[in-house]
Amino acid sequence: MALSKIPAAAFSSDPGVNFRNIIINGDMSIAQRGTSFTGQTSGGYYNDRFKTGISGLGTWTISQVTDAPTGQGLVKSQKFDCTTADASPSAGDFLTYLQAIEGQNIQMLKKGTANAESLTLSFWVKSNKTGTYISRLYDVDNQRVISKSYTISSASTWEKKTLTFAGDTSGTLDNDNGYSFAVEWCLGAGTNYTSGTLNTSWNSKTDADQFVGQVNLADSTSNEWYITGVQLEVGTSASDFEFLPYDVNLGRCQRYYFEEGNNAQGFVAGAFNVSDSPFRYTFLKPMRAAPSGSIGGSVNTDLKLYSAGSDKTLNNVGFSAITTHGARVDIYAPGQFTDGQTGHFYLLNNTGKFKFDAEL
Amino acid sequence: MIQTVTKIISAMDNSITYKVVFQDNSTIYVPHDTDNRHYQEILEWVAEGNTITDNGGGE
Repeated sequence: MALSKIPAAAFSSDPGVNFRNIIINGDMSIAQRGTSFTGQTSGGYYNDRFKTGISGLGTWTISQVTDAPTGQGLVKSQKFDCTTADASPSAGDFLTYLQAIEGQNIQMLKKGTANAESLTLSFWVKSNKTGTYISRLYDVDNQRVISKSYTISSASTWEKKTLTFAGDTSGTLDNDNGYSFAVEWCLGAGTNYTSGTLNTSWNSKTDADQFVGQVNLADSTSNEWYITGVQLEVGTSASDFEFLPYDVNLGRCQRYYFEEGNNAQGFVAGAFNVSDSPFRYTFLKPMRAAPSGSIGGSVNTDLKLYSAGSDKTLNNVGFSAITTHGARVDIYAPGQFTDGQTGHFYLLNNTGKFKFDAEL
Repeated sequence: MIQTVTKIISAMDNSITYKVVFQDNSTIYVPHDTDNRHYQEILEWVAEGNTITDNGGGE
C-alpha cells in the first residue's frame, strides 16, 4: 500500500552538503600558488583563501603537506615550520593565520540584531608546542572582536578543537563583496596584544586583550604547527566536516585567485600600432572584484609572441582594462608590428603564467 | 612593501591601471578599484607621503 506521507524515519540525520561551512578550502586541499614557501618573514597567501600575518616574529617555511588526522577523510594540512626563532618578541610582533570573509556571505548570522546567531568553529590542529592558543572572530566593519582559548594537550598529536562563540547583537555587517569578517588563529604575539585580559565576549577591539595567554610558537626552530578540517557554522555545536567535491572547492577559491598556465597556447593578439599587440583574456569565472594581474616566468622565455614567421622580442607583458570578468593582456614590443598584424601568444615551460588576485 | 607605483593611462581606451613594483622587485598591475586590496595598499602608501609616477598615457 502506498504511503500517504513520508515518515520521519525515512530522513537521514546526516546534514549532507548544504554549504553550512562558512570557511572555503577548510580541508586545505587547494594550493594554487604552490605547496611550499621558504624564508617567510612578512606573510601572505599560501593554501588558498587563508592568509598569514607575520610581523617581526620568526622566519617560517609554510607548506601544504599530506600530514592529516587519520580516519577523518582529511588528507592535506597547512604546516608552519619555524626556521629562525624569536624567543623574545617585541611588543608589536605577531604571527597569525586567518580567513577573511565577504559580508554578503554571512548575512545569515543576523549580526547586529536581537536574533544574532551563535557560531561554532571546529578544526584539527597538531603541534609539538603544547599549551594555550587563542582564536578570535573579527567583525571588520564595526571593529568588534571575540576571542577564545584552546589548549594543545599532547605534543605532535592531532587534536580536534571546538569553540562556540555567542551571537553579537551589535554591529551589522555590510551586505557586499568587501572584507567584513574574519576567523583568526594566533601563533604568537608581543605584549601589545597580550598584556590585557582576554576578551571572551563581543566588544570593541582593544589590542591588549586579543591574544592574552598565547604561547610563542616562534621560540624554537623545533616548533611546527599544523591545521586542517576548519569549519565555521551557525549554531552551538560542530557537525562533521563538510566535504565538497574538488571542482566545487577549486571553483570557490578561484573567485579570489587563479592562475592560467600549463603551457596554454592559442591566444590571438592583434597589433594596435607598431609597438602594442593586445588581446582580451576572459577569466575562468567572475572574480570577487577587479583583480590585480601579474605574470609568472620570464618574458621571451616563458611568455612568447609568434608573428609573421618568428618570435618577437618583447619588452613587457602587462595587464589593463581589468574587470571582474577579464583583462586586456598588453604585449609591448617597440617597432615590431604593422597595424593590424596578428600573432600567436603562448605560455610555456610550465612557468609562464597569468596570475589574477582578488583576495580580500 | 611597495617600492614604486606608476599610473598608466591606456592610449586605447583611457582606462587607468597602476603598475606596482614591490621591494622584492615583483610587479603587479592594479585596477582603479576600491574593492581591490592592492589598490587599497596604494592609497595607504600615498597617505604615508609617497608619490605615484604618472606616465601620461601609453606603456
